[in-house]
Amino acid sequence: MRMWNTVVHSWMFIAFFIGFFLFWEYAVIWFDVPRYILTPPSVIVQKGAADLDRLLYYTYVTGLETVLGYVVAIVLALPIGLAIAFSSVLRRTIYPFLVCIEMVPKIAFAPLFISWLGFGLLPKVIIVFLVCFFPIVLNAILAFNSLSEELTRFARSTGAGAWRTFVKIRLPAALPQCFVGFKYAAINATVGAAIAEFIGSDEGLGFYIQIVTGNMRPDLAFAGIFFLTLIGLCLFGVVTLAERLLIPWHISVRRKSH
Amino acid sequence: MPTLIELSGVKKVFGSGPEAVHAFGPVDMTIEDGEFISLLGPSGCGKSTLMLMIAGLLDTTEGAITLAGRRVAGPQTDIGIMFQDNTLVPWRTVRGNIDLQLEMRGIDPAERAADVEELLRSVHLEDFQARYPHELSGGMQQRAAFCQAMVHRPKTMLLDEPLGKLDAMTRENIRSDLQALWMQKRPTVVFVTHSIEEAIQLSSRVAVITPRPGRIERIIDIDLPFPRDFEVKSSAAFIGHVRETQEIFRNYGVI
Repeated sequence: MRMWNTVVHSWMFIAFFIGFFLFWEYAVIWFDVPRYILTPPSVIVQKGAADLDRLLYYTYVTGLETVLGYVVAIVLALPIGLAIAFSSVLRRTIYPFLVCIEMVPKIAFAPLFISWLGFGLLPKVIIVFLVCFFPIVLNAILAFNSLSEELTRFARSTGAGAWRTFVKIRLPAALPQCFVGFKYAAINATVGAAIAEFIGSDEGLGFYIQIVTGNMRPDLAFAGIFFLTLIGLCLFGVVTLAERLLIPWHISVRRKSH
Repeated sequence: MPTLIELSGVKKVFGSGPEAVHAFGPVDMTIEDGEFISLLGPSGCGKSTLMLMIAGLLDTTEGAITLAGRRVAGPQTDIGIMFQDNTLVPWRTVRGNIDLQLEMRGIDPAERAADVEELLRSVHLEDFQARYPHELSGGMQQRAAFCQAMVHRPKTMLLDEPLGKLDAMTRENIRSDLQALWMQKRPTVVFVTHSIEEAIQLSSRVAVITPRPGRIERIIDIDLPFPRDFEVKSSAAFIGHVRETQEIFRNYGVI
């Protein structure tokens, strides 16, 4: 019964999805929208396929920026989040500072980093890093600070040391909340990469979208957006897969597998 | 019987200054080796506070507690504790949760496999050891939590309302299992509860606690034969103890 429901529900979703693109395809023709404003999906596919080599190379460029920034954000944010969660001094100094910086739109720094570091890979990686770092670090702090009082007492009553308590209780208990940060950051990572490329670059999908839009080629802009979305989806997919492998017991994962 | 736990002038105050809350005491009490004593009182009377102080998980504001002749200063590791909310972790199976207690103590679970299996059988969970906590009923979860609290062979057990969130029939069922286990192994049990009937059915003594601040109003010896089955529970002596306890709470305005 449950499987049947799933089929019916996804069937409806797929039908809506196809309907949306059909509407787009024919609305553009019926309403006689000029090709330099909006092109039908079929033309996007066709023209995109013709320019596939360039699109794939730029996907690689932007994908590399995104993945590097994202990975560096995780590698730095987790230990920093841990340190803040377990040190009352850091919790009173760095933590409020991070919360203040979190209020600043990170994207606004993009022009500065481009002017400091030039058109290359590094400023883009830094901007993706900035976009991803804060949700990961703030969720990690929350994760490592929210162990229940009962489990804290249980751990103390066993006489286990800090390291054993961390490995056996604190870390697994914190993983679900950490993944909230990982997933949020994964969704936003490509935003950072694209905007950084808009501001100053000579390659990448952001650069491509900006150039072809300037040339009145919305078909190619949509092709670029498609590949940009693909990068975000792949990153999100990998994170979701890791979540399923690492915390199959958690309610957020359990619900999906039903 | 020799004294196992001794409380002298134990008092707990939360906070300080004008906002301080006098939660409990001062209380003097001795708990004997091998007895089953209930701390009976309404919510907020400080009975859980007292239990946590005995466990060394909460400091006393005044007074001292000794356990087996040693002063309690810091967490006691040679006791078994069941907390109000069970401490089963969602990422481990029933078996894994029981092993967690051993692993936290640096004991290899493989060495105690036979122990764990016997314990699981004694609470009728042997067929559920590979299940995760969320797959179990509330009663089964408490049974698993009981195994987790027992597996390191403690001689003293502190149980904080272990049956508090269960339905009446499940409670009845687990009570008799608990009594059978106590009769068989004779650990010292400090049992926190707000159920008069439950306290009298299970205990050799009942410490009646009145609230604000929590004080031991009376300690009642329950001189009835074990096991306390339905026969004993409908006896005049049992009902007499229930009446006596109700009287205390009624005079105090709790019920």
